[in-house]
Amino acid sequence: MVPQVDHLRELAGAFVVAPQAQLSDRWKQLAAALKAAISKGAIDDAAVALRAALQRAELDYTTARHALRLMHPLKGNTSFRSSKIRFAILGSFTTHQLLEFIDLFLFASGVEAEVYEADYGVSTQEIIDLESGLHEFRPEIVFLATTWRDGGYSLPSNAGVAEADAAVEEAARGWLSLWTKANADMGCQIIQDIFALPACRPFVNHEMRQPGSLGRFLSSLNRALVETAPPYVVLHDVDQLAATVGRWRWDDPRFYHQAKLPCDPECLVDYARSVSSIVAAQLGLAKKCLVLDLDNTLWGGVIGDDGIGGIKLGQGDPEGEAYLEFQRYVRSLRQRGVLLAVCSKNNHDTAMSVFRDHTEMALRPEDVACFMINWSDKAANIRAIAKELNIGVDSLVFVDDNPAERAIVRQLVPEVAVPELPADVTGYIRAIEQHRYFQTLSVGAEDLKRTEFYQADAARKAAQSSVADMESFLRSLQMTARIEPINSANLERSAQLIQRSNQFNLTTRRRSVAELTRLMENPDWITVTISLSDRFGDNGLISVILACQVGKALEIDTWLMSCRVLKRGVEQAALNHLLELARLRGLESLRGEYIPTSKNALVRDHYAGLGFSQIGEGDGGTTRWELPLGAASMTNTFIQQIN
Amino acid sequence: MDTLDQDVQQVFRDVFADDELNLTQEMTALDVPGWDSLGHLNLVIALEKRFGIKFAAAEISRLKEDGQNVGSLISLIRSKVS
Repeated sequence: MVPQVDHLRELAGAFVVAPQAQLSDRWKQLAAALKAAISKGAIDDAAVALRAALQRAELDYTTARHALRLMHPLKGNTSFRSSKIRFAILGSFTTHQLLEFIDLFLFASGVEAEVYEADYGVSTQEIIDLESGLHEFRPEIVFLATTWRDGGYSLPSNAGVAEADAAVEEAARGWLSLWTKANADMGCQIIQDIFALPACRPFVNHEMRQPGSLGRFLSSLNRALVETAPPYVVLHDVDQLAATVGRWRWDDPRFYHQAKLPCDPECLVDYARSVSSIVAAQLGLAKKCLVLDLDNTLWGGVIGDDGIGGIKLGQGDPEGEAYLEFQRYVRSLRQRGVLLAVCSKNNHDTAMSVFRDHTEMALRPEDVACFMINWSDKAANIRAIAKELNIGVDSLVFVDDNPAERAIVRQLVPEVAVPELPADVTGYIRAIEQHRYFQTLSVGAEDLKRTEFYQADAARKAAQSSVADMESFLRSLQMTARIEPINSANLERSAQLIQRSNQFNLTTRRRSVAELTRLMENPDWITVTISLSDRFGDNGLISVILACQVGKALEIDTWLMSCRVLKRGVEQAALNHLLELARLRGLESLRGEYIPTSKNALVRDHYAGLGFSQIGEGDGGTTRWELPLGAASMTNTFIQQIN
Repeated sequence: MDTLDQDVQQVFRDVFADDELNLTQEMTALDVPGWDSLGHLNLVIALEKRFGIKFAAAEISRLKEDGQNVGSLISLIRSKVS
């Protein structure tokens, strides 16, 4: 007999790849098996399979509601550790169904959400009234959901430019003051829908140029919101969702008049998926690396058979142009900070010759952070890629034209996201885009340089193998560190690192920009960031430490570091800095804590290694550590501090 | 029961999570647990998807009124698919 977990996973896989005609049958089979597993108490197996099934790109409203019913006995009852979040939704429409779906997709991304819904139509009051249910709930994220009806449009259609612009400015100020109030009183992160433009245009083609029109008002307001939003506000682009499905479809007013639903109910599913991808990104669950097959994925044909002149790539051939366009899309992901890796069953030198010698290749060897081109199985190669890049397997997305390879990877490495690809290359981009794998809250200089960081790593590794001992290697790197508190210049990067780091992360406490801003202002708290350079290049900001003075001790709340700079002495340099800060404040000891997760075993002995003594043990393997200042001494590092 | 009756019954079973539910023409919202205003909305959405039809706003409201039953719902669907 097949073990139950494999059977469930297989059914989930069959549902994910099901063509439309078989969707309903495959869902029924999966749902029945999940129900049986749940009634037998196999909660973890059922949760894994339901999560896998929810990776399907397109889900209809009724199936999503059915999935919700299956989720309820699972949510909060699985034995694996999930990220948690308190999430509140405030909107002027019926937010109930949208909130349930957001909860469902957060569950699918491994997030356990505690949710709060304001009563119908009282969102502003809930924010202003300090006694409201919202304040009592203490949300970490407040989602302000809107439709175009909330824009505050009241212009006469013959209004002039000055009058129209003043109205836009006033409306934008209103939202800004609501955000400021919410953030000041609750310290929460905010997600705000920008306004989806209505399908209806009284001025027809002239709508956007008519100063007093609704269309121009809303699009100017959207622009004003984008320009004034502080870093703790994420503007959710509902207008893009409406445009993608078509505005007349999105706007279906039947359900607005009937039930005050913001859009066509079938569109609520993707609306929820989009919002939950932002929450997941906030919690560090966005993907980091795109792993690509080569033959029939990056070019048409098989390089080993067709040769460099025979593969389809580039101008002059419709298929070749489509592959080129796909490569350009992939390169644009690389340029915004997504890592690229290649995983292909090929002869290494033959495949590399395409990267080096084919004049139409948009992707160059330097765009790819890791090549795994050999005849081993792809599951093993994917694990090797994650190891090489020092990132979790669950931050990978695997793209392969071969359905069998996709099925094997889904089965053997279920943590990896594997989008279904159509047989036709022209559909590849959409197939990947639909999932919003690489959702991001901000893009900074670090993102744009990420691949260079990893390439410099490879150069360092090469240097390391040529230097006999560790000490001379570290010295040869000529490292310099800039150690400074979190400030307005590095705030977003610090928040991003807090959201993304999993392995070298002692406590895995995610903090938003909003929360960090509060800590920066609190004199009891110390914030430390470290940026590291060496002779191979700039590593950027690679470590964040947050600590709080409690009595005569400095308690280290958060200590995390990018794994790219492991074993370089950065931890020791950081400890020296903390000791110095504690001394200046006249404190007596440093205290630290290690909270185990499925990913941070790397730092289990972090404090022991730095000379701390264990002083306690808590639930789930949490350990507490102390280092009296009297017992501590400065450690030598090979890092020169600059300011 | 013809095929359309059976298809409608299957939609009811899916929406109201009751695999044992047997529809009769005379049944009203009061006879089906979960057929409240939210359930009604979910039912309408599922029927529209299943049969590729659209109900007018007025029809959606009217189906909730007194005197309406499963029979009137099914004949409305029949008029839209034929």
